[in-house]
Amino acid sequence: MIRHAVAEGWELIHRRLLVTLTLASALAVPIGLAGLTFVVSQWLGPLVALRSERSTVAVLLHPRMDHAQREAWRQDQERRHPEWVVSAVPPEMLADRLSRWFPYLTDILRDDDLTLLPPLVEVTTVEPERVGELLSSPAVLAVGPRSALNQLIGRTADRLKWTFLVLSAVLLASAALLAGIWVHLEVYRHADEITIMRLLGAAESTIRGPFVVAVSAPGILAAALSASGTAVLASVLSRLAGVVGLPPLRTHWSVILAEVVLATALPVLAAGITLARHAREELEIG
Amino acid sequence: MIRLRDVAKDYEQRKVLRGLNLAVDAGEFVFLTGPSGAGKSTLLKLLYAAECPSSGEVWVAGSRVDQLPRHRLHQLRRKIGIIFQDFKLLRRKTVLENITFVLRFHGLSPREAHRRAYQVLKRLGLHHRQGAHPDALSGGEQQRVAIARALAYQPRLILADEPTGNLDADLAAELMSLLCDINYQGATVMVATHDHALLESIPARTLVLHQGHLSYDGRWPP
Repeated sequence: MIRHAVAEGWELIHRRLLVTLTLASALAVPIGLAGLTFVVSQWLGPLVALRSERSTVAVLLHPRMDHAQREAWRQDQERRHPEWVVSAVPPEMLADRLSRWFPYLTDILRDDDLTLLPPLVEVTTVEPERVGELLSSPAVLAVGPRSALNQLIGRTADRLKWTFLVLSAVLLASAALLAGIWVHLEVYRHADEITIMRLLGAAESTIRGPFVVAVSAPGILAAALSASGTAVLASVLSRLAGVVGLPPLRTHWSVILAEVVLATALPVLAAGITLARHAREELEIG
Repeated sequence: MIRLRDVAKDYEQRKVLRGLNLAVDAGEFVFLTGPSGAGKSTLLKLLYAAECPSSGEVWVAGSRVDQLPRHRLHQLRRKIGIIFQDFKLLRRKTVLENITFVLRFHGLSPREAHRRAYQVLKRLGLHHRQGAHPDALSGGEQQRVAIARALAYQPRLILADEPTGNLDADLAAELMSLLCDINYQGATVMVATHDHALLESIPARTLVLHQGHLSYDGRWPP
């Protein structure tokens, strides 16, 4: 039976060799790209972690607040926002920090009398934007820059990661659709032949065998093309990333294995489903 | 060999067969006749399970066909040699391959399948066309290949739907003689035809279908 399936399957492939090769390539493209986009999405993972890094925001308090008032205000803020760490900047570091956070205060900083400098506190938090809400408080004169670069990178990386994952899923779905349509057309192109074989007493395994062989060969070819394509493209992207100082892309063996399994299994699965559907319809066809 | 009990077959609103009761014993030769649209082909399709009856019971070779699960249909069909009205030959295979192909999934070795296919082709005078594809054959030759294929695996029941439709008188007579020969060897034969000359050529039991009913069951002419 296996010999029969191989011989008949080879005949089916041989008669449409060019179409088979084209379809194998067409199947390899979405599967290979799905693997690559998945690799890229995983590569973005460490960058996404930057999103949860803490940032520090400077808050300039009213100069008339004395030490006790400042301390009370600090404790009040930490009570309201338990995730914040509010720390007063010591006087000896004040000039340095003020020039960093509020460059427009440079003129005041030139003054020798540092006692005139307003008190400064630093808020360390994972949500720097929320520190801006303090501006409504009469105790606060100004709030420093609140958009941390690492969080911007983290958020962008997160969005990109999800975009790539969705793209990967869409590409896989399109590969499944392509395999399904191709096998469906191939089976229905031979529908009369299959019906004749059934009427003459061929068992389902006898009918399915040649089709499984016929769709397995381009599936294996597609697997080889997609796996090698992913490896080559990932290596090219890795080099490009290295040029701008980013870490290299790593193609895990499980991604390659998944590509090989999908490329070979999708057409076989499609053949099984389509032939079972055809068998169900047989009685209606008569 | 064949038992039909209150069999009816409807196609949407059209009733093709109604309340059909019939019994054909093993080894019988039976003609099935009637005007076009009387239900001859439908009855044959019910017997080889290409159609399901709307109601009633269909028994063939000890199996209730209408209740046979799909995965066991091939076991029933291997007991039946079907000669189709439209031949149903595989276009991509040669004459010889059309026969060996079927013999192979009936379990014969390639060598035995080849030997038996050649033998039956020789018997039907088609051995010289064994390498030709069906499209290169005349209607009569295609008909004979279909007959050769049905006879090759020596089935217990032969169902023939208008088997002489594309044959000239001499070939038709030759075919009927072949079917009689096979019947003599023990196979049950049911031939659907509307050719009265054919009915008169062999003194056999004749079933006449008229508007889905069995209107006559006996020797021809009535």
